[in-house]
Amino acid sequence: MTSIILTIAKQTYKATYSNKAALALTFLLGLSLVLATYVGWQNFKSQNDQRIHYKQMVRDQWLAKPDKHPHRMAHYGYLAFREKHELSFFDFGIESFAGVSVFLEAHKQNTVNFSEAGFSNGMLRFGEISVAMVLQLLVPLLIFFLGYNSISAERESGTLKILLCQNVSWRKLLWGKTLGIIGVCLSIFIPLILLTIFLWASLSDWNISTDSSLRLAILIAGYSVYFFVISAITVLVSAFQLSSKSALTTLLACWIFFMVIMPRITQAIGSRIYPAPSKIEFADSIAADISRQGDSHDPNDAHYAAIKDSLLKVHGVDDVKKLPFNYGGYIMAEGEKITSDIYSKHQKDLNKIFEKQNSITGFMGLLNPYLSLKQLSMALTASDFNTFIDFQNQAEAYRYQLAQKMNKLQIDKISNISPGENGKPLSISRSNWAEQPDFNYHFHTVGNMTTEQFFPLASLSLWLLITVGLLQYISKWIKTI
Amino acid sequence: MKNSTYHLEFKLFFRGSSAWIGIAVLIITGLSGLYFGKSFIANQKVVIEKAAELQTKNTLNNIDHFGKDIGLVFFHNKFSVASVPEPWAAFANGQRDINPYLISVTMLALEGQLYDTDISNPVSMLFGNMDLSFVFIYLFPLVIIAFTYNLLSEQRESGIWSLLKSQTNQVTKVLWQKLLVRMAAIFGVAFLLLAVAIFYLQLPVDQTFFAVLSFIAIYLFFWFAISFFFISLGKNSNFNASALVAVWVLMCIVIPASLNLILTQRYAVPEALQNVINQREGYHEKWDMPKDVTMKPFFEHYPQLKKYPFPKDLTFSWYWYYGMQQMGDDQALESRAAVQKKLAERQYFTNIAALFFPAIQVQLGINELAGSDLTTHLGFQLAVRQYHEQIRLHFYPAIFQNQDISSTNINSIGLKNFEAVKVYGWHRLLSLLVITSMLTLIAMTNLKKINQLK
Repeated sequence: MTSIILTIAKQTYKATYSNKAALALTFLLGLSLVLATYVGWQNFKSQNDQRIHYKQMVRDQWLAKPDKHPHRMAHYGYLAFREKHELSFFDFGIESFAGVSVFLEAHKQNTVNFSEAGFSNGMLRFGEISVAMVLQLLVPLLIFFLGYNSISAERESGTLKILLCQNVSWRKLLWGKTLGIIGVCLSIFIPLILLTIFLWASLSDWNISTDSSLRLAILIAGYSVYFFVISAITVLVSAFQLSSKSALTTLLACWIFFMVIMPRITQAIGSRIYPAPSKIEFADSIAADISRQGDSHDPNDAHYAAIKDSLLKVHGVDDVKKLPFNYGGYIMAEGEKITSDIYSKHQKDLNKIFEKQNSITGFMGLLNPYLSLKQLSMALTASDFNTFIDFQNQAEAYRYQLAQKMNKLQIDKISNISPGENGKPLSISRSNWAEQPDFNYHFHTVGNMTTEQFFPLASLSLWLLITVGLLQYISKWIKTI
Repeated sequence: MKNSTYHLEFKLFFRGSSAWIGIAVLIITGLSGLYFGKSFIANQKVVIEKAAELQTKNTLNNIDHFGKDIGLVFFHNKFSVASVPEPWAAFANGQRDINPYLISVTMLALEGQLYDTDISNPVSMLFGNMDLSFVFIYLFPLVIIAFTYNLLSEQRESGIWSLLKSQTNQVTKVLWQKLLVRMAAIFGVAFLLLAVAIFYLQLPVDQTFFAVLSFIAIYLFFWFAISFFFISLGKNSNFNASALVAVWVLMCIVIPASLNLILTQRYAVPEALQNVINQREGYHEKWDMPKDVTMKPFFEHYPQLKKYPFPKDLTFSWYWYYGMQQMGDDQALESRAAVQKKLAERQYFTNIAALFFPAIQVQLGINELAGSDLTTHLGFQLAVRQYHEQIRLHFYPAIFQNQDISSTNINSIGLKNFEAVKVYGWHRLLSLLVITSMLTLIAMTNLKKINQLK
């Protein structure tokens, strides 16, 4: 039973490699994969090196600041750079469209700026060559070219009837052909995986973390399922279509529809159904909420007047200058707390809108395994939307902590009596600056990620089940002649 | 006689379901491209209108809050400039989703504000916009391939070819007729979509229209020429379909994407990060330095401001503060120029690459005409720069003399609109024409030999 499947698989594998055009195509694709790996790695290295270089520069400059007022330091702020995950050389994901650096200062949340896309004059819009792109888009096309006539050619040459008379069932034939085609794909995919693992390991100086190994393992499993699904679909289409020509045109039409047209349309629909506010509307609604709560920069604000009164009462003094701590710092800490809370709430709502926009594409993964794999692959290589949002959140948390740290220094160490118009400005020792740690982004672990990626994982598994089921039980409906 | 054979070819073509499927795909995606493209731009227009209202509202708010201290008003008050989309931007959204179309800046150092992005969903940017130009650049070629790949091979595979050869000695003419029928269908759909676009997007029928029309027409001719070339090789249908789709994948995905990779590698822009650091240091370090360090270069930059006396003895003055901010910009001058140089090199590289690859050329050309390319955005940045400078010079005297805010005309400053100067890249058409005619010539020479095909 299985030996027949294997014989057919071997036969298909050999036949494919005896076809010069197929061999050339496979070779070309293999070559482009090696190039994509190399260039992706270089790209990763040079961009990450730049970011680490500037990160170090920012840290050194921070530490080198002389004695000064802590609030000056809060405004001097920090620059955070988004580092790339070591696996991002495999899949660029949204890397090029997401900003790279963000300026973190007191009172103000800034945007993450300088995405590669912002420097692009449009060529980026055609796509980016990465290992993931070749595997997701081009390998299926290769599978279609290799397998469109796998059954229909047998039918056209009349060998199909003979095969089916000779103890070969439809089921064995379909499985054999599918495995043969997968074999061809794997013969380029496996060396590539090895190369990827090697590169990645050397990238991380042979310090392989279990988290990354797990990511890579799921990644390989995901792509293998994807190739199986595509190969099975190819063989099934070839079995159902009466001629090779119609099988080929059907497969090519599917490729175009599912991989070129559908992603754009689903994402456009998502943005249309769930419109996101523009930056000025976003800023305006935050400003409105803040002025409702109280504005620390406004001397006549009721909220802060109440705080002042209660402070005076508790400490039994009649002037803020007589308080045992720095009053200005206290008020600023309060202001920072209120504005950050409001900002974070709005940012959360905004991210929810974006998630809803993306959910249409996510949902369509049920109909389109390409979309499922794409999302899974981006998540596993930490080049996805969630990772970007996570960076924003960690940067904002750092910003808040920095601002409050400086407020605390001001409350504790700055005199309540201002030096007057011509006096020397108050300051504290520069030794305090080192207390503020450097900003380091921490990637989520793969555990968090798999719960987030439940939907793509489920839909890929579903596709696997469906195609296995079809290969097993569909023979009743296929016409032999 | 001749008319009637065309008539028959038309009938034959439209009897097949593939003709109708192809046309339906183009019309449906074309109309949805129009819809999404228009709603994307309409949204930007609404935001720009809102920005005009908010400009006045926020200014009044700031005067109300900080009016006692003129320096503080200008510390907070933002002045906005909008890059108004022109009608064609709905046809080709281009980079308008990536680059901000509304830039709001205070009078403080510009380099720290100019590059702030809009808030946008990076996933949507990754998948790209759905507009009519996408349908023309990506999908029309595919339908052209679907319509023509088996023009000759089908005849041979069905056995009609030998029959045809025995009955007429003008088999090339038959092929021509078939090709012309398909061209008529494709161009018919293209013109129909353009006509709908004129009304739906309210496009003026002017020079821009004819430029876009020329780009699209030659681009479609180019794909017919490619298809015609493969037909003329006389291979079978399956070879033609595979080869043509492979060419499409190369032309519309692999080659531009590879070139883009080279571009990002060779012309990386770390200077942009350096620029932010320079600006930040240039300004902040001045707090810890004698005031002369700031004011000497400031007065060298603006000798005309020397006449306003500088309050040397005050620990803090807005005069000094704005001077320090100016130093941030001045010390970022070099890195800023480096960024501009890199971007110019990128543009040059792309322009050269576009000479050889029609899809890139057409995309660049149409985005340029629609004012949705990087060059337009850089023009917009320049306009913001000039406006910022103008605002600074206008209000500096009042701030430096600590005048009352009511003595200024800050109230009357509304939203500033930027409209890009139209660029007509007619020269871009030349490379398209050369490539198309070369392909056609080769195909025609090949075609002379098809009589010998069996």
